[in-house]
Amino acid sequence: MAVVRRISCRVLAVTDHGERVYTVALEPSIPVPSFKPGQFLHFALDPYDGAGFWPESRVFSIVSSPRIRDRLTITYAAKGAFTGRMEQELVPGATAWVKLPYGEFVIDDRRDAVLFAGGTGVTAFTAFLQSLTSDHASRVLLFYGARTSDLFVYGPLARSMAAEVPSLTCHLVCEATHGRLSVEAAWPAIDPLADPLFYLSGPPPMLGALTAQLLERDVLADRIRTDAWE
Amino acid sequence: MTDIRTGAVDTRDEILDLVARYHRERHVPRPFDPARDPVRYAGRVFGEAEMRYLVDSSLDFYLTASRFTEEFEAGVAEYLGRSDALFVNSGSSANLVALTALTSQKLGERRLKPGDEVITVAAGFPSTVAPIVQNGLVPVFVDVRLGDYNADPEQLRDAVGPRTRAIMLAHTLGVPFDLDTVMDLVEKHDLWFVEDNCDALGSTHRDRLTGTFGHLATSSFYPAHHITTGEGGMVYTADDELARIARSIRDWGRDCYCAGGENNTCGKRFAQQFGSLPYGYDHKYVYSHLGYNLKATDMQAAIGCVQLGRLAEFGAARKHNHARLLAALRPYADRLLLPVAPEHTDPSWFAFVITVRPDAGFTRADLTAFLEANRIETRGLFSGNLLRHPAFETIERRVVGDLVNTDVVMNDTFFVGVYPGIDTARLDYMIGAFGRFMAGERATGGRIAWPAPAPADR
Repeated sequence: MAVVRRISCRVLAVTDHGERVYTVALEPSIPVPSFKPGQFLHFALDPYDGAGFWPESRVFSIVSSPRIRDRLTITYAAKGAFTGRMEQELVPGATAWVKLPYGEFVIDDRRDAVLFAGGTGVTAFTAFLQSLTSDHASRVLLFYGARTSDLFVYGPLARSMAAEVPSLTCHLVCEATHGRLSVEAAWPAIDPLADPLFYLSGPPPMLGALTAQLLERDVLADRIRTDAWE
Repeated sequence: MTDIRTGAVDTRDEILDLVARYHRERHVPRPFDPARDPVRYAGRVFGEAEMRYLVDSSLDFYLTASRFTEEFEAGVAEYLGRSDALFVNSGSSANLVALTALTSQKLGERRLKPGDEVITVAAGFPSTVAPIVQNGLVPVFVDVRLGDYNADPEQLRDAVGPRTRAIMLAHTLGVPFDLDTVMDLVEKHDLWFVEDNCDALGSTHRDRLTGTFGHLATSSFYPAHHITTGEGGMVYTADDELARIARSIRDWGRDCYCAGGENNTCGKRFAQQFGSLPYGYDHKYVYSHLGYNLKATDMQAAIGCVQLGRLAEFGAARKHNHARLLAALRPYADRLLLPVAPEHTDPSWFAFVITVRPDAGFTRADLTAFLEANRIETRGLFSGNLLRHPAFETIERRVVGDLVNTDVVMNDTFFVGVYPGIDTARLDYMIGAFGRFMAGERATGGRIAWPAPAPADR
């Protein structure tokens, strides 16, 4: 974890993906500190003077690439009181505060990796996907589930990266037409991999179900990493 | 600063302007009076910006780590190209944190275990060696070379034994030790390497900053050092895992990495399993190490923010003063062993170190007594030979060779200052005093009673 910085940001743009899912582009007041793909930030709406106690905040995966130092992007689903406020208050020109980087949900890029992402949980993987290069040696399988086809917010990114990176394969699973993400359905693609690590990001019920399914297939618990928040 | 609730400009700026005025009235150095003023070997060098930042921080009254600590840690990390920097309350604490981090169970079989050996030197400061002993490890002492006063590279190679697991060395008085040899040994024998950079911030080896070679490295910001925060130090690393462990050891040994006054930074404060604690036990009070509380305050960090910006200026002044002294004392090289910068190094000198040669016709005591009588402050090279001190005489250790040069350091070596507070007038005075001694003048009378000193000892 690098030195944490608290940074005021200006909202540059808000993209409405429907179903109360939004992407917010932020312009930080100082260059974004070094972070690793998969790490997250704390996001605060209330005024902050740079000193004193940090205001109420929520955590969001950093969607943007670590290579970009003058922009930050997050994606969120408005579900509770705080994200409801975000929905109301985040407009272009508004000010917000972030502190970053945090988290150890960092993909080991030397090992074959299987990524399961549910809904906005894919944001834990977007920075990693953007960091891949065409000569990436390890295999990466992304299983990306969403309730409807409209909610594959990062489907285009996943597809374009898969087109550029031979070792990356993406499977987009629409719940409305193909049911929920499951290990059973994914296993034919996973089976040929050599002792991969599994990374799960999404709603807690999804994490629990997929973890149980992996354990049933004798995947060792220490091979399963979950991006679980309270 | 503007009050974020009212939008009004508060009295803060007025206070800070008064602080700047106070500095101009009370703290601007006056011209050197050779008949009265001492030439100290080190001391605080600060301007109105440092005082403004200090008071600015005090007006926040957050006291513990906050915005200035964040800025200072980020600044040091960026300067050194490390991912993490942890502000602690002293350089000695930094050494303790760094070495103790390597004993963490989180490192599994790679961790240092009681009885493992750590190569170091006895001619140095005790807090480079004490953490080794305090962690139940065994120091292995090698001799130093005279001139640069760093570990003898040949003896370093000879020192590696079957239980050797780490090297912990300080760059003596700003002079980089032989990093080619050390890095070769680290790689060849898979050793841990703690780089005590307390006296060398800004020094380089093959154009790379010291403090960037070790798995962990340390700085001191005590007033004698290249920059100061009063008390203070820093641990830095490019290894995320070591940084997390070091932070835990600094912060009571706790597993949680929330900053003071913050909660649930990780987002799973009540949703984890640790040891045999009940599931979801408050992460803020889960302890994964036997740690300490070695944190510093935001006021100290505030001073450091300004001082870090002056590091290049300070380093240039040290090099200038050192070069002038070296040129002036070169005619006495037959009697004084003068300092040496090894090939491929560019030291940011901590001091000007001298060893009185055996056939000089005078002793170190003669020379330092003369300088002290003329109000020129001198210091021995820290402990001289650490193994001859009461606290270290009986420690478990292994010694390579006979440490003959270490004893020379203890008996015949001393240093004078080159710090940025030594201006041309003081430097001229110091050079003149050396000249008078070499011409045969000697001290008479008793020891000088120094005016109350600024804190400067390491």
